[in-house]
Amino acid sequence: MADVITVEHLTVAFPAKEGTGEVVRDVSLAIGAGERVGLVGESGSGKSLTARAIMRLIPRPGAITGGTVRFEGAELAPKSAPKWRGTKLAMITQDPLSSLNPLVKIGTQITEMLRYHRRLSRSEASAKAQELLRSVGIPDPRRTMTRYPAVLSGGMRQRVALAIAISCDPRLLIADEPTTALDVTVQAQVLTLLERMTAEHGSAVLLISHDLGVVGNFCDRLLVMYAGRIVESGPTAQVIGDPAHPYTRALIASIPSLQGELPDRLASIAGSPPAGGAHAAGCAFAPRCPLAREVCRRADPALEKIQSSSRTVPGDSHQAACHAIGDDTWNQAA
Amino acid sequence: MTDPVHAHSVAPSVAAAPAAPAPAAPPAVDVRDLAVHFKVHRGLVSAQTVKAVDGVSFSIAAGETLGLAGESGSGKSTVARTLVRINRPTAGSVLLAGAETARLSGQQLRAYRRRMQMVYQDPYDSLDPKMTIKDAIGEGLIVRGVPRAGRKAEVEELLARVNLPVALAGRYPGQLSGGQRQRVSIARALAVSPEVIVCDEAVAALDVSIRAQVLNLLKDIQADAGVSYLFISHDLSTLRFMADRIAIMYVGRLVEYGTSEEVFSQPAHPYTQALMAAVPDIVNLGGPRPAPLPGEPPNPASPPSGCAFHPRCPLAVELCRTVAPPLVRKASGQLAACHVVPDAPEVTP
Repeated sequence: MADVITVEHLTVAFPAKEGTGEVVRDVSLAIGAGERVGLVGESGSGKSLTARAIMRLIPRPGAITGGTVRFEGAELAPKSAPKWRGTKLAMITQDPLSSLNPLVKIGTQITEMLRYHRRLSRSEASAKAQELLRSVGIPDPRRTMTRYPAVLSGGMRQRVALAIAISCDPRLLIADEPTTALDVTVQAQVLTLLERMTAEHGSAVLLISHDLGVVGNFCDRLLVMYAGRIVESGPTAQVIGDPAHPYTRALIASIPSLQGELPDRLASIAGSPPAGGAHAAGCAFAPRCPLAREVCRRADPALEKIQSSSRTVPGDSHQAACHAIGDDTWNQAA
Repeated sequence: MTDPVHAHSVAPSVAAAPAAPAPAAPPAVDVRDLAVHFKVHRGLVSAQTVKAVDGVSFSIAAGETLGLAGESGSGKSTVARTLVRINRPTAGSVLLAGAETARLSGQQLRAYRRRMQMVYQDPYDSLDPKMTIKDAIGEGLIVRGVPRAGRKAEVEELLARVNLPVALAGRYPGQLSGGQRQRVSIARALAVSPEVIVCDEAVAALDVSIRAQVLNLLKDIQADAGVSYLFISHDLSTLRFMADRIAIMYVGRLVEYGTSEEVFSQPAHPYTQALMAAVPDIVNLGGPRPAPLPGEPPNPASPPSGCAFHPRCPLAVELCRTVAPPLVRKASGQLAACHVVPDAPEVTP
């Protein structure tokens, strides 16, 4: 069966005075039916723009300057976006207050999806909307439908956004930092709900977050982005339990945990991530990398299957973009 | 330590002072029965009192970090803002190195603020965008009375202390990265040589890889300068790393208070337990996840009766609906406000 989404060599650029202005560079990824994939990265890593490129929602003056995005094998024409956006691919964002129309009652915002895409009658759509709101845990759906987004709490708004996104059974739901603005206890509720709803509606999920803990606990597979590129990808257990890329390793080491030995100091990564589209030649992580050598500053390493005497991963699922990996002459301790 | 306010307090007295064997030095900060109430006007006539903070007591020893956690509406930022006197306390006392400060004004308040500094979540909002880095930091030096001639050298020293290149001195906040800006805020706070720095979500807006740098820096500064921190964060993992002691707030009150060790190894209050269970930790991936806590933090303008946590609490009994539980010592060692969790056995002092 074809993957739901296949992205190949995607490049997104913004006009820039210096450099290429490329904020997403040569990104390839595939998401299978019903799969839960996590995209992790810091601000400016290109994770949100990758998602927006899939949705064909790159804000001007940015543009997709290379590569393809295919849905179940075929490219989705940007022209027909109003047809497929919401039905085949749907998206929820960090703050539903900015994605929901503040001047339109919640009921209208759900029923308009159902009436437009599913051609339901007014009363059918209303009944369906109530059912959807109930299924996302809104206590009084009938009353909530008559209210405006601003009067709901952040958690309730995210539930409404999820109800709208899932209303037409999309094959892929992109969730861009859906819980970042929420309190931890509410975050746990929304993630549990996201898991249940997408399973019930048969949707794959691309979960985007800066929080390794969130994606790590939710996703089957992880993609780690740095400065516009995917630098590591693989099954969650491997990427977090046995990270290969120096960036992933450093990132994991820098997160304090609720369990285990308490370090005196956190491992930290020197410097800061390059501004979007302004990376130097070679590996973008080289200026901060403890392992960097001359070659790293010259050539950008390709994302390749990890093969080395010390790491044998079944299949080709664990990949990383680093010159040091698989090169046994590289003194890993250097 | 005589304490008139404490003696007639309504809430069951909580000896928040640490069980320090040597009563020689008073704690850097000693907050007793702090209440901060706001009048919220609804229309022309009716007004409502919101108890943002109510009956909160804690203390921070010199050179120590108290971690304060809670969700939105818990009052943790109001506590911070009251300590630096952006808000006025409605009742209770705030002792700085043993001296009452809750009713200071004018000159004395200015002197107090020099000793109690704050680092905010978003340095983009707290730094003046039209002021260069050296001027922003230099302001603190003027306050401290450093002569003009010595300021440049001291600004450079402060920049070095927060690991920023001196070359940034002439830049504006907008030209710096988020991590650099937060270092500037820290340098700015340090410029007046404070005894206490309140960090309100100081690393929440930073990227993960930058967060560790800033946390390490704050620890280094503490080791160097002996400054005390009130470190406020919604992130329990960060608090575990930073804090010697932990206070958990829920709708304006402390529900748990103890050493980091006690609270993290054996959280007593059901709310603390739920908070910890909700943290998506990367250790123990794929382990069993407990069902998330139902409901949302209540609106502090209309808190539930009795124990404010009872509508969401898995352990709630009838008593919890009517009577607010006192903050008392529990069997696991720390203080917690819960009717259900067993108290520590009576020990005659």
